[in-house]
Amino acid sequence: MVHETLAATNAVVTLDVALPEAFWHWYVTMNMWAKSIGTGLIFMLFLLLRKNSSEMSGLRTPTIIVSFIMMNVFLLFTLADLHQPFRMWHIFFYPHWTSAITVGAWMATIFVGLEFVMAVMMIRKDKCTLTKTPTETFDKILFWVTLLAIPVTLYTAGIMAESTARELWQMPTESVQMILAATLSGSAAILLLGGSKLSDETKSFFASILGLSALMAFIIYMSEYIFGAMKSEEVAVILEYVKGHGEYATMFWIGQWTAYILPMILVALYRVSKSSAMLNLAAILAIAGLWVVKHVWLIIPQLLPLS
Amino acid sequence: MQLGFLVDLHLCMGCKGCEIACKVENEVPLSTWRLRVKYVDVGTFPETKRTFTPLRCNHCENAPCERICPVSALHYIENGIVNIDKERCIGCAGCVMACPYGAIYIDPETQTADKCTYCAHRIASSMMPACVVACPVEANIFGDLEDPASNISKYIQANRDVQVRKPEKGTKPHHFYVGASQAHLNPLASRREEGYNLFNNITHLPLGGHH
Repeated sequence: MVHETLAATNAVVTLDVALPEAFWHWYVTMNMWAKSIGTGLIFMLFLLLRKNSSEMSGLRTPTIIVSFIMMNVFLLFTLADLHQPFRMWHIFFYPHWTSAITVGAWMATIFVGLEFVMAVMMIRKDKCTLTKTPTETFDKILFWVTLLAIPVTLYTAGIMAESTARELWQMPTESVQMILAATLSGSAAILLLGGSKLSDETKSFFASILGLSALMAFIIYMSEYIFGAMKSEEVAVILEYVKGHGEYATMFWIGQWTAYILPMILVALYRVSKSSAMLNLAAILAIAGLWVVKHVWLIIPQLLPLS
Repeated sequence: MQLGFLVDLHLCMGCKGCEIACKVENEVPLSTWRLRVKYVDVGTFPETKRTFTPLRCNHCENAPCERICPVSALHYIENGIVNIDKERCIGCAGCVMACPYGAIYIDPETQTADKCTYCAHRIASSMMPACVVACPVEANIFGDLEDPASNISKYIQANRDVQVRKPEKGTKPHHFYVGASQAHLNPLASRREEGYNLFNNITHLPLGGHH
């Protein structure tokens, strides 16, 4: 909707035009970004359990707490993005199961509930009747939480797939991007959390995950950037926003460099130098850059006129 | 019964009577629309002409908005209309993201999604939609698509160039056009460069949201 004030009459002329603004803005970026870190940390904790459980000792409690906090950030921004946040309960009492939003809300709630149980158990050192120690119970629950983390990570891709109007968001590309965002930010976060508690071997392992996630995500973005326009008129127009002098071109490349290119280079250098500072910098850049990358990809398809 | 719309663009003269009737009937707030008559100027001076296309919800048989709505606020009613329950809507804007026709908006007053309902409340009282009544040239043809004797069915049978918007999306719209060109139906075929508008110094009003 646009309007113009005519000086002579002081009248406002209101014109009906295609709705031009983005409806899902940075609240939704925060949602996706925080969820990636929250579920990514669970994936990494599970990998650590399978790879070298002796290094889990000092990491269970801080990792589950950070993941729990990030998941609550995700839920908070999900709620804040609703135009009627006090009606959120409708999603549980009037669920519509064809909607990825509904499925995701239910799974995320169960996921966060389990995380809460795990965090309380570790803090209170509760013993479960079926196991000898709290850590044993924690590790048993972790398996199921990791399984649940997969659909919790992917459901946003489902929402994007159901957004029929937004040609740029395609399945299965978005699913892969969501998982890679989780492995990228999860590995980065656990490297920062683990610090000196992690052995060099484990650090190298997570550094490899970080570097490879960045590489694969970057390849997918570049594939879309170069070839996307050849398949769809709408995608071609959307990608103009990140090409040349496009409105989001600078932000797009800041994101690609910060989230993917620089972390890849730093991880490669770490493998030669074994400098923890370099690895920490890669992790921080990856986490920060992921927000920018997600934001650009969220906004640009919404700028297209649909009517 | 499956209700549908057909607009004969040969007849439409762009008077915007339907648009005004819709605004009044449904109390549609400024900065939003349920029905919009799009103007597109085509050709090169002096060989130019202006085309008019009434745009509204397509009440798709395979509606993406109905599918993505997490609380069934958007739902089908028996006559094929995709209706909306504003009391149930949580304002997630999923439907806004899903609708390929840009026909759904967030009402700035109620903070819920809203759109054309083919005037379901009038139909329930055996009245025609407000836009149909207002059209001076009967360019809006409304009726039961399943009834071969209805005006709309006869129109579809009689005209070869019946089209829908964005058929590639697989939404199966219940809204048809006769006499449409790409300029009418494809928003990318009639993109207007910034600064080249009928009015100067155009600014945007904030749209139905709190961001």
